[in-house]
Amino acid sequence: MITETFHIAGGNFSNAGEASSRVKKILKQLGVDQCSIKRTVVAMYEAEVNIVAHAWEGNMKVEIDSEKIRITGTDKGPGIADIEKAMQAGFSTASQQVREMGFGAGMGLPNIKNNTDFLDIKSTPGIGTTLIMINYFAGHDKPKHT
Amino acid sequence: MTNQSTHSEFYHALTIDSNMCTGCTNCMRVCPTEAIRIRQGKAVLNKNKCVDCGECCRVCPVKAIYIKHDDFSEILKYRYRIALVPAVFIGQFSQQIRVSEIYACMKELGFTHIYEVEHGVGLVTEAYRNYMEQQAPKTYISPFCPAVVRLIQVRFPSLIPNIIHIKVPLDFAAYTIIGRLCAAGIKREEIGVFYLTPCAAKIASVKSPVEGEKSEIAGVINMDIMYNKVRQILINKPAAVDPINHTLRGIDVLYGLSGGEAMHYAGRCFAIDGMKNVIEFLEQLENDKIQDVDFIELRACDQSCAGGVLTSANRFLAIERLKNRAKHIDTLNKTRSLPSPCVNKQFLESLKSNIDIPEIKPRNMLPIGNNMQESMALLEQMKQLEASLPGVHCGLCGAPTCHAFAEDVVLGMAETNDCVFNIRQDPKTMAADSEIWGIDKYFEL
Repeated sequence: MITETFHIAGGNFSNAGEASSRVKKILKQLGVDQCSIKRTVVAMYEAEVNIVAHAWEGNMKVEIDSEKIRITGTDKGPGIADIEKAMQAGFSTASQQVREMGFGAGMGLPNIKNNTDFLDIKSTPGIGTTLIMINYFAGHDKPKHT
Repeated sequence: MTNQSTHSEFYHALTIDSNMCTGCTNCMRVCPTEAIRIRQGKAVLNKNKCVDCGECCRVCPVKAIYIKHDDFSEILKYRYRIALVPAVFIGQFSQQIRVSEIYACMKELGFTHIYEVEHGVGLVTEAYRNYMEQQAPKTYISPFCPAVVRLIQVRFPSLIPNIIHIKVPLDFAAYTIIGRLCAAGIKREEIGVFYLTPCAAKIASVKSPVEGEKSEIAGVINMDIMYNKVRQILINKPAAVDPINHTLRGIDVLYGLSGGEAMHYAGRCFAIDGMKNVIEFLEQLENDKIQDVDFIELRACDQSCAGGVLTSANRFLAIERLKNRAKHIDTLNKTRSLPSPCVNKQFLESLKSNIDIPEIKPRNMLPIGNNMQESMALLEQMKQLEASLPGVHCGLCGAPTCHAFAEDVVLGMAETNDCVFNIRQDPKTMAADSEIWGIDKYFEL
């Protein structure tokens, strides 16, 4: 089991993507299949951007074993009032300023969903959001009970 | 045993002369793929990681890293000796020396024909355009620079499908000139095509193209060697002038320069040069952070081939000369009708059936163990070790960074005691050293 934790600062768009790049390198060194790497990196990058764009600060904990990668993103921030709505493509609460930087198109959560085998979001408005993403590597099927 | 040694090796033109090497570590520090280590005081190359970019060769202060090439006398084995000349070669000379003079000197040296590589540009760009139109839209990567293709094989295997699997102008030009001579009744075995190369990567790509392919090119001659030979003749006596019979367009002459490819295609096209910039761009492309780009031209050398490691002239002066030449050719072409480079339809068809690059295989050198379990254990060891290393990247252990050293140790290619901070734990030396480095740089105290 490999465990890494990354701190994500809110509002720092120029650093968004650093954690997912580091995780990509680890997955490549482990010899994980390219498709899983790509899906994981895309999902994790979106999650990073979400913390940067919406929250004050957050952490991403990455746990890798021989079958899967589990990423837990926890942030302190405004939270998501209506998760179902946020999952719809195109829905966004991003400010004009964030949109001008090329973010906030409302594709973040739908994109995460498309690139993960398992996704769970829990959020308390005014406190923050916790997001769990799991991807199973090639040759390891997603267990039925999840 | 790890998988670092299970792949068959790349052919490399870069060679280290260990008699000359002083172990100065310059090459080790600049290598973009961390392929160099110092062992027994000499630089040693990991052939599976090297992509032939030539950065090491550039920084070697004692010229111990050289580029192996074919002996010039090789050309004499053939009755018809063709020099395939990239436009960048002309850029090595001052404007006062005419192209026809340069070619006359080369003929005096023994070549029977001079043919410019860029004659293949028109056909190549047309073939690339068709290729991109026929396939699903994605960010296409030009296969022009062999160091970049190798970099993708080694470090970005997931981007291999983005490479346009069609040969480069060099192959087209070789095929065209051979076809033309054969059509005139000359036997294939009497023809020897020699390419003047500005870099190590091109040599390697000719010597071992891609799996199962054989190059039409008989040999490769380093550009600096030919430059010196031509200069020698020019100094000793005025060269005879050889009339040029080329069918180039101005735009063809610029193909080897930065932007020379990107200007041919519609949509969002980028031209990126310099190894560091290329790696950064590929990294972001792989992460999907760069999207909706249609075509990228990637060149390992700063200023592309004008900055090739085997060039002699200042790269910016070379570019100036080529731009002037392109303008000059365009002016000339206005007053004459440009003959089509390939009139023979049958030949054109045979060329088209021969242009595909069959398969570019991944040569992924990143997994550190043979299987996931092993890699995971090694990575964990590496992480722990790295945390205890000083992070000074002094290079005294023979590895370029503390990270690379940690990897070497867990793979059994180095020992923790190779770290100078580990062995200098004697209180006296520590007191002196810690004045400079601080006490926390040492292993557990």
